[in-house]
Amino acid sequence: MKSLKKIASLVLALAFVAIAVFALASCGEAKKVKIGVIVADATGSEALSFRNYYKEYIEKNYNVEFLYSDALTDAEAEKAAIENFITSGCKAIISLASADRPAQIEQCEKAGVYYAVASGVLNDEEYAKYKSYKYYVGAIGPSLDVEYQTGYEMAKAQIAQGKTKFAIYGAGVGYRIDMHVQRTAGMLAALCEDDTTTYGGVSIPGAIIGSLYTDGEVSLSKFQSSKYELVGYHALWNFGDATWQANLASVVAADPEVILCAGTGLSVFGQAVSGTSVKICDIDSFTSDYATAMQNGTVTYLAGKYASSIGPIFAAVLDAVNGHAVKTEAGEALALGQSYWVATSHAQFEKFQSADSVSNPIFNKTLLDTVIGDNVSYTTFKTFVETDRTPE
Amino acid sequence: MDKAKTNDKYSRRQKIISLTPIIGLVLLLALYVVIGLIKDINFKAGFEAIVNQSVILAIVATGAIFIFTLGSFDISLGASTLVSACAGGLIYNATGSVWLMLVACVAVSLIASLISSVLGSIFNLPVFVTTVAMMSVLSAISEMLITGKGGNQIRITGLSGLENIWLKLIVLAIFSALCVFVFEFTKIGRRQKALGGNPVCAKLTGISVKKYAILAFVMAGIGIGLGGFLTAIRASTITSGTAGDIGMNIFIAIVFGGMPISGGPRSRIYAAIIGSFSIKILSQILTMLLAAVPGANGIAQMVRAVFFLAMVYLASINYRTKMLPR
Amino acid sequence: MNTPTMNNTRKIARGAFGTLIIPVAVGLILWGICAANGVSMFSNAQSMTIFVRGVATVMLTTIALAINLNSGRFDFSLGSVATLSAVISAQITLNIGGNAFTMLILSIVFGTLLGALSGGIYVLLRLPPIITSLGVALLYEGLAFTITKGSNVSFYGKTDVSGITTNIIYMMIIIAVVLVVTIVLFDRSRFGFRYKALMAGQKVSVNTGIKEVSNAVICYAFSGALMSIVGYLTATSVGTISVDILNFGSIGIMFSAFLPMFIGGFIGRYSNDKLGYLLAAITMTFFSMAYSALNLKSSTQSIINAVLLVVFLIYLSNEKTVKDIAALRHIRNLFKKKTDGETNNA
Repeated sequence: MKSLKKIASLVLALAFVAIAVFALASCGEAKKVKIGVIVADATGSEALSFRNYYKEYIEKNYNVEFLYSDALTDAEAEKAAIENFITSGCKAIISLASADRPAQIEQCEKAGVYYAVASGVLNDEEYAKYKSYKYYVGAIGPSLDVEYQTGYEMAKAQIAQGKTKFAIYGAGVGYRIDMHVQRTAGMLAALCEDDTTTYGGVSIPGAIIGSLYTDGEVSLSKFQSSKYELVGYHALWNFGDATWQANLASVVAADPEVILCAGTGLSVFGQAVSGTSVKICDIDSFTSDYATAMQNGTVTYLAGKYASSIGPIFAAVLDAVNGHAVKTEAGEALALGQSYWVATSHAQFEKFQSADSVSNPIFNKTLLDTVIGDNVSYTTFKTFVETDRTPE
Repeated sequence: MDKAKTNDKYSRRQKIISLTPIIGLVLLLALYVVIGLIKDINFKAGFEAIVNQSVILAIVATGAIFIFTLGSFDISLGASTLVSACAGGLIYNATGSVWLMLVACVAVSLIASLISSVLGSIFNLPVFVTTVAMMSVLSAISEMLITGKGGNQIRITGLSGLENIWLKLIVLAIFSALCVFVFEFTKIGRRQKALGGNPVCAKLTGISVKKYAILAFVMAGIGIGLGGFLTAIRASTITSGTAGDIGMNIFIAIVFGGMPISGGPRSRIYAAIIGSFSIKILSQILTMLLAAVPGANGIAQMVRAVFFLAMVYLASINYRTKMLPR
Repeated sequence: MNTPTMNNTRKIARGAFGTLIIPVAVGLILWGICAANGVSMFSNAQSMTIFVRGVATVMLTTIALAINLNSGRFDFSLGSVATLSAVISAQITLNIGGNAFTMLILSIVFGTLLGALSGGIYVLLRLPPIITSLGVALLYEGLAFTITKGSNVSFYGKTDVSGITTNIIYMMIIIAVVLVVTIVLFDRSRFGFRYKALMAGQKVSVNTGIKEVSNAVICYAFSGALMSIVGYLTATSVGTISVDILNFGSIGIMFSAFLPMFIGGFIGRYSNDKLGYLLAAITMTFFSMAYSALNLKSSTQSIINAVLLVVFLIYLSNEKTVKDIAALRHIRNLFKKKTDGETNNA
């Protein structure tokens, strides 16, 4: 017992010493600009591809260091993560977490730390309120309109191919995640363009979006059509739950021609549809799993983000930290849209995948350097972001 | 003479060991300052962060000490805090009154606590399992409150003025003082310790288990209500994930602070405060050191686990039994 | 006059009735509710696979929980053992190009080791198991995250690895083997007798020379092995292992096993508690299938499960009172009938 006590004391003492030594060892490192990144997802493929781009490419090419948060699921956790980053001396925060963006902006403004939204945008009301904040750099990513449009175009593409029997996977609609609600609404709106088709008795996009926010789900009974069949709906990610699994199986068993997914469709349905003729259309990212799925024909449509699409927001942040924040002509924060790349074949997918790798990203140093500096105009920056860089 | 000497030595060792959590807190604080100096951190922001992140946990944990003193274990504290924050947020949005919001938070958490305690004491249910069921029910109710009007959150605006460390510290000080008074200077605390230490003996002396169990849950309910109130102010947007980590961290905090899990006479109110601040300071240290390392969050959690086990082991070194504890 | 044969028959009938009444009644009631709503619990070819997988998962988790909880040892680390063993075995299997059986065997090996380590920490530190299991849960969650550098493990396209979870026969074999091994180990072996002795009277058993430490470590190791199978079934049926379980994200699975554990214990009074856990798992999976068929919201499911747990516990904790009340009412009814008859006669 005594020896165990000694061991426990020793463990604690060693831990204290190790921590101190570790701190001293990292003391000699050159001063880098620290940028905190708050994330809602820390383990998904898209989140990791973004992270790799910042950690493996940007850190190696610029004098910056990215500090990453845990996966943050609520506003209080976001607040705590930003407090920790401010304590650590971060000059800017890049946000990939959206539980409470207004609170994030207010917190950074109060602390005098630059703040930017990556891979997303503020809504109109929020932008109007915060666009003049000194430390709000801006947002670059797919707007909610783009999200809606992406879902809409995915469904339209399937309709154009003559598909009539659908299922929908709403991903985070149950949590009312904006982008998933918008994408799902886009899918339903595309189906509702047919004269005989309505959702909840209406076919107006605004009403469909409202209905999804209220219900937190797609209700099959609300879908009325004499042309299309909506045979199943599934959502969320309760992998270990038998009820959730049973519902997933019933969606596949209903034998839709296509499952229209608002995100993470392959992770959820990939295993379940193997050996069936059911196809997956998804909005996600260009990862190796999707490459395999496109090659074997499981996924027939992928609207995806590419890893270095978060490069421009880094450039804007670095400009701001260096004292040359890029602002609109009216002196307001950036609000620039990005769209998705759409692959409908394996060949096209491979082209996209090889065009944007960690070692050679689309937004590489050469390209980023054109907008990092003390004399970058808003027009230059806007063109830089909005230029279509889809590989030919 | 020798026996007296041995006794003296033993009681001195006992005292030192009972101070382990405090010594641990001081050492962690010292380490934080040293590493902070090396890493050139923003100390003002750092100390504010520690207070901001520790106080709500400390308040809820302080109230929960009354339950743990009885040797009971409540797993639904996080869910209660969430439902209390939801109720407070909705009342504030409806009335604009901070006082009504506070009343709503405390009332809801008291009702939740009373249901748990009544189920436990009237129907003779094991408290832990009752609170497992309560956790599910409260989470479901929160979900309904949050999504009741569509959307995935309750957004509270107009309370940012109250979001400062002084309000939190004042609430913590007042509630801790109340708890210390009840726990150390009234028969309630003494009898609860007696019940936790030896329930059979306590019952035989005429102490009502049901009465003191309900009182324990009332005190915990007040703590949860205050925690819910401060959570609503701090978060300003309440989602189903709000207060998610409070439930288990309370347990870690009070054990880290030197509270015996079996409750009884060695229970101390200050354990909650020491433990809450200790684990948050440790987290801050690990964040400073590991934030740039791949898989850092996992490594940080492993270090926290080792610290937790080592600290608890040292703090309870004198209470070993021949048999394995249950 | 009751003959011994009649008594035996009555005893067997009573045992069979008590054993089967809960799953059969629940199954029939839920089937009726689903039918009344125009849906079916078993609506497609996959339903039976999901059902059997659900039964296997719930039964294994319940036994893993009950082994230690029956001895007063709360184990919060069950979920983390399942995830970590799945992560380690998946990494190895994918690297060496192994198949489903490779991964299952590796999972069991690592699950057993992780369980034994968890038990080892408990017996070494001699802290209450509730504390050590929290520490172990933190440790294993952190390790799973660190091993993968925070990346989920994906099996997409690796059909070799997921063969077992799509095959009902294999899963039934798993259920049967686990049931037999558990019954032999805990009800028919010297280890089992000692386990029961320790459960019934820890102090007396230790004083009579039963080695509590090794008994406890074996319990943890066996529990770890069972959870590793749960981890394997969950991971391969879904195709992904999520390592986003930091800060106690893994402990939820423990709470889901409480209700089946109590139901199983109740059924066990009429037959065998291990068989009870199987029947309780069947009962719980009926609920899951019905929730899915009826398209109930998760919040509604949570409330129903919680109410069932509380009501069942109230019954268990107040069984005598409930029976007394029922008996009293019975006597009153008899008395009432008698007096009514007398009044009518008059």
